[in-house]
Amino acid sequence: MLQHAILILLLPLASAVVIALFLRKQGAIASWLSTGVAGAIAAISIILLQHGERFESSVEWLRFGTFSVSLGIKYDDLAALMLFIVGFVGFLIHLFSLGYMHDDQARARFFGGLSIFMFSMIGIVLADNLFMIFIFWELVGFSSWLLINHYHEKQSAADASKKAFIVNRVGDFGFLLGIIMCYWANGTVNFTELGQNHVFSTAVPLLLFCGAMGKSAQMPLQVWLPDAMEGPTPVSALIHAATMVAAGIFMLCRINVLMVPQALEVIMWIGTVTAVYAALCAIVQRDIKKVLAYSTLSQLGYMVAAFGLGSIALEHGEHKMVIAAGVGAAMFHLTTHAFFKALMFLGSGSVIHGCHHEQDIFKMGGLRKKMPITFVTFSIGVLAIIGFPWLAGFFSKDAILYLAMEKNTAVFAVLAFTAVLTSFYMVRLWKITFLGEARSDEAKHAHESGLVMTLPLIILAVLSIFGATGWFGLGLYPKLAGSIAGLIPEAHGAAHTTILLVSLAVMTIGGGAALFFYKSAATDTLEEKFRFGFSMLTGLKESFDKVYDYYVAKVQQRFAMVLNFLEQIVLAGAIIRGLAGFAGLVGYGARAFYTGSLQAYAYWFLLGAALLWAYAAGIF
Amino acid sequence: MIPLLATAPAYGLPSYLFVSALLFAIGFFGVLLRKNTLVIYMCLELMLLASTLALVAFSKFNGTLDGNVFVFFILTIAAAEVAVGLAIIVALFRKRHTVQVEELNQLKH
Repeated sequence: MLQHAILILLLPLASAVVIALFLRKQGAIASWLSTGVAGAIAAISIILLQHGERFESSVEWLRFGTFSVSLGIKYDDLAALMLFIVGFVGFLIHLFSLGYMHDDQARARFFGGLSIFMFSMIGIVLADNLFMIFIFWELVGFSSWLLINHYHEKQSAADASKKAFIVNRVGDFGFLLGIIMCYWANGTVNFTELGQNHVFSTAVPLLLFCGAMGKSAQMPLQVWLPDAMEGPTPVSALIHAATMVAAGIFMLCRINVLMVPQALEVIMWIGTVTAVYAALCAIVQRDIKKVLAYSTLSQLGYMVAAFGLGSIALEHGEHKMVIAAGVGAAMFHLTTHAFFKALMFLGSGSVIHGCHHEQDIFKMGGLRKKMPITFVTFSIGVLAIIGFPWLAGFFSKDAILYLAMEKNTAVFAVLAFTAVLTSFYMVRLWKITFLGEARSDEAKHAHESGLVMTLPLIILAVLSIFGATGWFGLGLYPKLAGSIAGLIPEAHGAAHTTILLVSLAVMTIGGGAALFFYKSAATDTLEEKFRFGFSMLTGLKESFDKVYDYYVAKVQQRFAMVLNFLEQIVLAGAIIRGLAGFAGLVGYGARAFYTGSLQAYAYWFLLGAALLWAYAAGIF
Repeated sequence: MIPLLATAPAYGLPSYLFVSALLFAIGFFGVLLRKNTLVIYMCLELMLLASTLALVAFSKFNGTLDGNVFVFFILTIAAAEVAVGLAIIVALFRKRHTVQVEELNQLKH
């Protein structure tokens, strides 16, 4: 089974290398190769699951004295679940890209980028120590940059990719410090060894959380994710919704053993604030992908908050046991979110493709009849995210809400309010996009996408319906969830009723309000009727960018100019030019000796011999 | 130790060394003052021979063979060196059509 794991890691790398070296001009072959490899990854990940074996193994890579870095594979329940999500959703998105990117000039680069992303992401999933995770962490950052920048002739895309890269660097700086501090404190960064024995510290988990803050776009580093929507839509679905941004949550679950209550408290509040902030921003977006991006941010905030809520004590008759419910709830929501958010992003991709690259929802409308499959599957995605009973999001969101109710009432209130907002903006998006009359020529001439694009939508829609019930009732994949399924908090008795009622209430209030409030019109109803509230929300969305812009332009740039001045004067002026000038002066003096006259050289020789003799004779 | 000569020489060691020094001085000033490369070269050879004369004289008056051995080596090397040196001068003349040192000053700064 270890060979399978190594194979699954190296296959996409091989695909990326072959595409980069030989297939840059053969877009069709490159796309089929990349998709085939993604299919193989999905197949192997299922084989690994079926086999059910759990293993880990590592080899030493570098050694400097007593410090060593090793590369290894840790395939446990967590990795198994994540590998399945990455492999399976990744394959469906590859398939969708075959259709979506069919007419793209740089198809080979796009699919090569997808392959290098799959390699990096699987590396994160299978890594058995923090150093290795960091290497692949940076690699996903690179592939994210590459793919956001796919339409690089567009200035906004180039800027967005740069922004994503730089903002992630900020988080990764903390992450790296955390890894070093973890090694310094514990003498190891191997997850299994850390699990057996480690020093309790608040700084280590918080520094490591900085990495998750960058990658999973949590406050205050959330600014890059909405801009990252400049990339092609399948990239947004794969990287910026289903897998890469979830890597932060995955990493937190990996280092769960290092957590202490103080750190969890901070993580919980950051997640909660991100969830409600992003949901508020989503209400005023016009771009279909931006709405989904803020929705992703909000859901990631949910997962981080769930992780931060931590463990709960369960009473099973006589036994009292503490389970890491935060990990269970976060991973559960990560899984279902991967399904329905990938579905909605691909659905939006299908809409954009059908509407000839129109992304403004107020210029769409009436797509229900023109794109029936997209409409039905997208509706299922919307129902799943707002928590319609017995769909995937219903169970995972309830698990988080129940955990919040048990642990912290304030967080529960905020998350429930976020759920209202979620239903509100999702139904708004759904109604304006699909219902009513077509409001532009693009929407009038919209057409349903081909089978290669609708098939992934249908599969993901099925997963969005049954993706959660399989965990509990049907027992479709007990091997998939493994011990993680046991960690999911489940409400019983009165708590169950309360949660169910709250869940249904928030969905009905939010969804119903949006359904009645918004008209299928070319303008935003909220903007017309509540101009003040609308501009407040827009300002809220822009506030972070403004603060960062101010900081970069007015503080950092000035500081850099001072440093540049000092560098010009001291380093370049005094030291470098000074030393060169001194050497030049010595050279001018020494040149005088070279007269070109043979006899002068003989005199110099005589003088030298005399001096040497005098020295040897001890005269001086 | 076996004496090399039965009879005593007519002049003492200082006389030989004086001649050697005189030859060396002539050669040295020739190198410094003459302008023709060929003459300078001959003066260099004169300086070399002055040193061999001193070595032979030392060997005789100390009653050892060391100086003579040195001289053999110096003669051998001088022969080779003359061959190379003259060849360079001939080549130089062919290329520049002159052997006057004041005109051979391309290495000037």
